[in-house]
Amino acid sequence: MVKRFAVALAIAGVVGGTSVLAHHSFAAEFDINKPVTLQGVVTKVEWVNPHVYVYLDVKDANGKVTNWALSSLSPGAARRAGVTRANFGQGQTVTIAGYHAKDSSNFAFMRKMTFADGHSVELWLGDDEARK
Amino acid sequence: MRKVLLAALVMVPAVATAQTPLRQAQGEADFNGVWGAAPLPPAAKAGQSVRWLLPLKGVDPEGTDVFKGLDRIQVNNRAAAPNKPDYKPEFLAKVKELSDKQGVLDPAFYCKPQGVPRMGAPSQIVQTPGQVVFLYGASNLFRMIPTDGRPHRADADPSYMGDAIGRFEGNTLVVDVTNFNDDTCLGSDGYFHTEKMHVVERLTRSGDTVTYTATVEDPDVLAKPWTTTPRQLKLSTSKADALLEAPPCVEHDAPHIVTLDHH
Repeated sequence: MVKRFAVALAIAGVVGGTSVLAHHSFAAEFDINKPVTLQGVVTKVEWVNPHVYVYLDVKDANGKVTNWALSSLSPGAARRAGVTRANFGQGQTVTIAGYHAKDSSNFAFMRKMTFADGHSVELWLGDDEARK
Repeated sequence: MRKVLLAALVMVPAVATAQTPLRQAQGEADFNGVWGAAPLPPAAKAGQSVRWLLPLKGVDPEGTDVFKGLDRIQVNNRAAAPNKPDYKPEFLAKVKELSDKQGVLDPAFYCKPQGVPRMGAPSQIVQTPGQVVFLYGASNLFRMIPTDGRPHRADADPSYMGDAIGRFEGNTLVVDVTNFNDDTCLGSDGYFHTEKMHVVERLTRSGDTVTYTATVEDPDVLAKPWTTTPRQLKLSTSKADALLEAPPCVEHDAPHIVTLDHH
C-alpha cells in the first residue's frame, strides 16, 4: 500500500513540499469517451518531462502510414514504478490502448502497450474494488 | 625555485583548514547529503509485464471517471491542506481567475522553473566553506547560496529563484531570498506574487532529519506573511539514491489543450 501511494503522489504535483514538474489536467486534452486502439511500429520514445511521448507508425487498410503521438505520465513517475525507457518497445510492433485527443489530431493518451509476445506495459489508473 | 617551495609550505596550513569538517571548524551544522529521496524499485526486465500503479479511490479503472479521478487527487490534497496564502480582499478575484485558467496560464506548465518557494526543499545539499549549494534533481536546477556574510547582489536581474544569502543560527541554515521576477506562482490555485516578494527559508537539522519551511512576505498583495507547512526530509544513506540527470522539459501539449479543466 505504501508503495502504491508513493507512485500516486508522484503525479500529484506539489505534495507536502515535494517538487515535481507541474502539468495541466489530462481532461483538458483527452476525451475519456473516445477510447482508441492503435497497432503499429514504435518509431521513437521521447523520454522527456513533463510527459513521456511514444510515436507510432500506424498503417491503414490501404497501406497509408500515419504517425501518431502518444502522451503518458512523467519519466520520473515511470522510473519510480520500475518502468524505464527500455520498456517502451522502440522499433517493435505493438498495440496501444488509450484515449483520443479532444482536438481529433493524431494524438492520444497511452494507457496500455501490448507486445507481440503478449507482455504489456500498463498504466493502471483506478481502484479494482470500484469495477462495475 | 626556492621561492616556489616556500610558497608551497606556507600554503599547507591553509589547505588543511579548508579540509577540516565544517562542524568543527566553524560551528556550522552539516547539511551535506541527499535529502528526502525514496529508494527506486528495481527496473522491469525486458519482456516483463509491468503495471504502473496509480490508485484512484472509487474510480473504475475501465470507466469514464479516470481523468476526473486524476484531477481529484490534487484537488483533494489541497482541500486537506488548510495552510494557504492569505491575499488582500482586492486581489481575491484575480487569484480566482488565475486559478480557473491555470491550465493555460501557469508558467510552470510550460517548462519554466517553479521557482522559490514552490520548488520546495532541495534534493541534495553541498556545503563548502562560505557557500552552500542547493541541487534540485527533478529539474536539474541549482542555487548558489553564499554564507560568508556578504550582502545581496545589487547587479543581478530579477529571477525565478531569486538572489539568496545564507547564515547559520545554531542547527538552522537561514536563507534570505530577494530579487524575484513575477513569473512564478506560490502554488496551483492562482497564488501570484509581485517582484517585491521576500522569502526566508529555514532548514533545521536534527539527527538525520532536516525540517524545511519558507516564509513569504509580499505586503502589496498578501494580507500577512505566509509560512509553508513544515516538511521533514530524511538523510539518504544509500549510494543508489544519488541524483540522476532529469530528462529535459519539452512541452508538446499546449496546442491540444481545448478546455480549462483544472486539477
